[in-house]
Amino acid sequence: MSNTHTSTSINWEIGPIFRAMLRNKVGAILIALQIAVTMTIIVNSVYIIVERSKEMQRDSGIDNENSFYLTSVGFTENFNTPVTVEEDLNALRALPGIVDAIQINAVPNSDSGWSMGLKTQPGVEHDGVGTAVYMVDEHGLNALDVEIIAGENFAQTDIGMRVVGQVKWPDKTILTKAMAENLFPDIPYGSVVGKTVYINDTEPMIVVGIIDKLQAPWVGWNNLENVMLSPERMDYKGSRYFIRTEPGQRDSVMKQVEELLANSNKGRLIQNMRSIEETRERSYRGHTAMIKILTTVMIILTIVTALGIVGLASFSVNQRKKQIGTRRALGASQSAIVRYFMLENFLISSIGVILGAALTIGLNIILVNTFGLDRIDWFYIPIGMLVLWIVGQGAVFGPARKAANIPPALATRTV
Amino acid sequence: MLKMTDVKKVFRTDLVETHALRDFNLHVGEGDFVAVTGPSGSGKTTFLNIAGLLETFNGGTYELDGQNVSNLNDKKRSQLRNEKIGFIFQSFNLIPDLNLFDNVDVPLRYRGFNSAERKKRIENSLEMVGLAQRMKHLPSQLSGGQQQRVAIARALAGEPRFLLADEPTGNLDTQMANSVLDLLKSINAAGTTIIMVTHDGHLAKQARRNIYVRDGKVSEINEVDIAMPTQLAAV
Amino acid sequence: MFGYYIKLAIKSVKRNPILSLLMITAIALGIGASMTTITVNYLMSADPIPHKSHQLFHIQVDSWDPNNAFNDDDEALPNQLTWTDATNFTLAKKALRQSAMGRSGGIIEPPGDDAKPFEASIRLAYTDFFGMFDVPFIFGNPWDSRSDTNREQVIILSKRTNESVFGGENSVGKTIVVAGRSFQVVGVIDDWQPIPKFYDVNNGAFNETEELFMPFTLKEELELPNWGNNNCWKSPDGEGYKAFLQSECINTQMWVELPNATAKAEYMDYLNNYVMEQKELGRFPRPLKNRLSNVMQWMERQEVVEEDAKMMMWLSFMFLLVCLLNTIGLLLAKFTGKSAEIGLRLALGASKSDLFKQHLVETAMIGLLGGFAGLGFAVLGLLGIKSLYGDFVDDLATLDISMILVALSIALVSSIAAGLYPTWRACNIAPASQLKSQ
Repeated sequence: MSNTHTSTSINWEIGPIFRAMLRNKVGAILIALQIAVTMTIIVNSVYIIVERSKEMQRDSGIDNENSFYLTSVGFTENFNTPVTVEEDLNALRALPGIVDAIQINAVPNSDSGWSMGLKTQPGVEHDGVGTAVYMVDEHGLNALDVEIIAGENFAQTDIGMRVVGQVKWPDKTILTKAMAENLFPDIPYGSVVGKTVYINDTEPMIVVGIIDKLQAPWVGWNNLENVMLSPERMDYKGSRYFIRTEPGQRDSVMKQVEELLANSNKGRLIQNMRSIEETRERSYRGHTAMIKILTTVMIILTIVTALGIVGLASFSVNQRKKQIGTRRALGASQSAIVRYFMLENFLISSIGVILGAALTIGLNIILVNTFGLDRIDWFYIPIGMLVLWIVGQGAVFGPARKAANIPPALATRTV
Repeated sequence: MLKMTDVKKVFRTDLVETHALRDFNLHVGEGDFVAVTGPSGSGKTTFLNIAGLLETFNGGTYELDGQNVSNLNDKKRSQLRNEKIGFIFQSFNLIPDLNLFDNVDVPLRYRGFNSAERKKRIENSLEMVGLAQRMKHLPSQLSGGQQQRVAIARALAGEPRFLLADEPTGNLDTQMANSVLDLLKSINAAGTTIIMVTHDGHLAKQARRNIYVRDGKVSEINEVDIAMPTQLAAV
Repeated sequence: MFGYYIKLAIKSVKRNPILSLLMITAIALGIGASMTTITVNYLMSADPIPHKSHQLFHIQVDSWDPNNAFNDDDEALPNQLTWTDATNFTLAKKALRQSAMGRSGGIIEPPGDDAKPFEASIRLAYTDFFGMFDVPFIFGNPWDSRSDTNREQVIILSKRTNESVFGGENSVGKTIVVAGRSFQVVGVIDDWQPIPKFYDVNNGAFNETEELFMPFTLKEELELPNWGNNNCWKSPDGEGYKAFLQSECINTQMWVELPNATAKAEYMDYLNNYVMEQKELGRFPRPLKNRLSNVMQWMERQEVVEEDAKMMMWLSFMFLLVCLLNTIGLLLAKFTGKSAEIGLRLALGASKSDLFKQHLVETAMIGLLGGFAGLGFAVLGLLGIKSLYGDFVDDLATLDISMILVALSIALVSSIAAGLYPTWRACNIAPASQLKSQ
């Protein structure tokens, strides 16, 4: 008798474990299915979360932290908007802490605004490009914190006064780089300066400048960066002022401005004063909520699945106590017992994550077709598989340790 | 071969201290076939557990195959069990979810043999107990006697120096018991040292030596001289 | 016998407290998540006016651009009407009741020197609006139809506006200053918040009901600002407010009440004739296409239920599936562990159906406990939704009795479904095999 064949290499028991598993198919299938569906939900949720976060992080073009706006609504019969606006803006621009202030028809990312179509050729038969319109004076670029990258700003003499029901448009406009490129895809944006574009099918406007970036009011709009500036002030009962402050002074300036405007003219109401940060928060509330809900769902789901694995593994350890004692008696070290349960879980998890990969793609296809989501990036799948493997291994480690502590002497005990 | 000197084993609970073994002394030589008898609670099973390195003890020394095994860690003890000791249990302890082949395979896996070696050994040992044809069967498809033969095959596949048998025929009828005993005798005749714990005096007489345990001590040693069968018997 | 099963079930649940808790929690979480999303979807897709939603119709006519359909879908019709068409339809009185309507707003100047002016939203409508939609009144009545024709400055207040301006007393006959003009109060309505706010979904399907109501004809008379969505395919012919109103821009909603199919068919004929006449005048350049949608059809067309809500509902069902798979696995483990007891009971004369019932009672008990706990989670979930989405979902995140019953039935049905296989497995063991090996 000799022991010449002894070696120290670890002997993986994949074959026997797999064959033993086949005799308890249902239990294994249940865990595998649970892992598969969990992976499907988690991976798709993570994907949705990442996509939404990306949308929220897009640059609005304006100074989010240091800008705010408010409305001033005149309610008396003889309220004179043009005069009030002129007085208000002069007072605001003189206020320390304010970089610049303008009257504007709509606020970026605020979800309500004005859109028009621009055409490169006049006539109803040509297709137009949709764009958001901001009506601003020559202080617009400074207040909105946008930079002119080609051409020039409006001059003070360009600024018109829009009245209620007015159809006619000014003869100059400034476009965002994105809008310029959408209108004239074949030429560099710099050459768009000087071109004529047509609004209301036939009314010409000359592009005098191109700005770097500015978002439209509607955060869910596909052409979020299609924006045109129109050199106008508005003679409406309600005026909106957009104010940019020195860094860090927004909140104190907001208080001062409210007081200043409320006291300067009793014939109007100052309301809806809101920072851009808060506005963006409101516009993206659906996204924020979705992100939080999905995160909660993912965490709870992972815990449920992990606890399910712990529960089933603990139960199976209890059921197999005698068997484990026997294995120990036959020479299995504690680590060999741990390895046995980890390996068993690994095999089940593997079936689960492979099925999970298929289901994840399936659910993504449904989400793409039903809800217009984008196709999932491939690398989410292997990462998801890896995560669920780790969750499974982590969950089974406790019960496996418990199994390893079953004394080998249990083998000789007659139950 | 196996030498226990003043081995003590105490079980403690909050209320009582039980001396399962007190100054247990025994020497078993190479090729011996020892039967350990004694009343219930005398310490038979504790002796077997300690001899088989299934349990640790509290005092004295235990030399196995010339090696002092008193202070080994779990890993080392597992390795010794795996390489030097074969176990046969009263209730067979086959793993119900594994077929005969995989059951015999269990200790060989821990030994680290390659698959060709394991296959050879499994087939040889199942051949020896006459169950090579039923390799793919599950334990539940066999009779008790056949199950115990599988357990013996599993114990022998690793070619241990020792075979420790705990009431090996306790769950079997007389005819099956006799055939299992004949098998053990022939294994002993082939050179493997056997220690068998039993409460059955008649069975004990079949061994070469009888040891009577009472109150955790060896109280009597009898040499038995009987003719050993020269051929393997099959049921 | 049923009482005995319940006793056994309680014992069994207590015997493995952690395992039982795990199963109950899993079911509860699944039910909680599903109930939260089902409630939101159920309320979003609720019939806001069930007793007559089949008799109220929203009108669509294709007055859009000859070169392009209203949106990318070629079949799409404009979702609102021009001021001109809506006014013509209302004045024609071809339906039992009819009203063009729009949204506006203005500053209210409450009486008294120290009262602060505040801005309020206005619903512009014809008097039929109130009868057609069964708007409840606390004080007064809808204005007379003559007020529509004569463009009288009459006004109806919401309950809350009446409280903040008149302290909640009967204000009928008093005057109130809105947008710099005096109006005579003719009525105050009770709390009225249709969910969804079906009559004007494109200005926010879950927005609050307007704070003031006044005759639609005043829009032109007083040149009231257009607060709602306005959409043009061509610019007005001429400058000024009148030209804007008379343009092809769409900014007006129109509902009619048609009590039966004949009335509906006749109304459809009227619409078609109207459009044909207008074509002679050079309007309606697109092919003849008109549509009457009842309330629920309109909600469907306008996709009132938010996509996120639908998506979350499907995800929550998958969540419930995971929780049920979890429960099946745990029950299977638990009942397998009880095989000795089951074998013993079989040996002592229990029939398989006895054992089956015993274990189904146990499963149902776990399901019900999970269902009750799930209701708690649903309440938490809805609170969470409210805090995440803000005020506008307040009415969408409330559990009612029918939802509670739905929750409990889902819990019961799904847990029994989850328990069927484990129970069947456990009860199908041979009695002898279990007794022998122990």
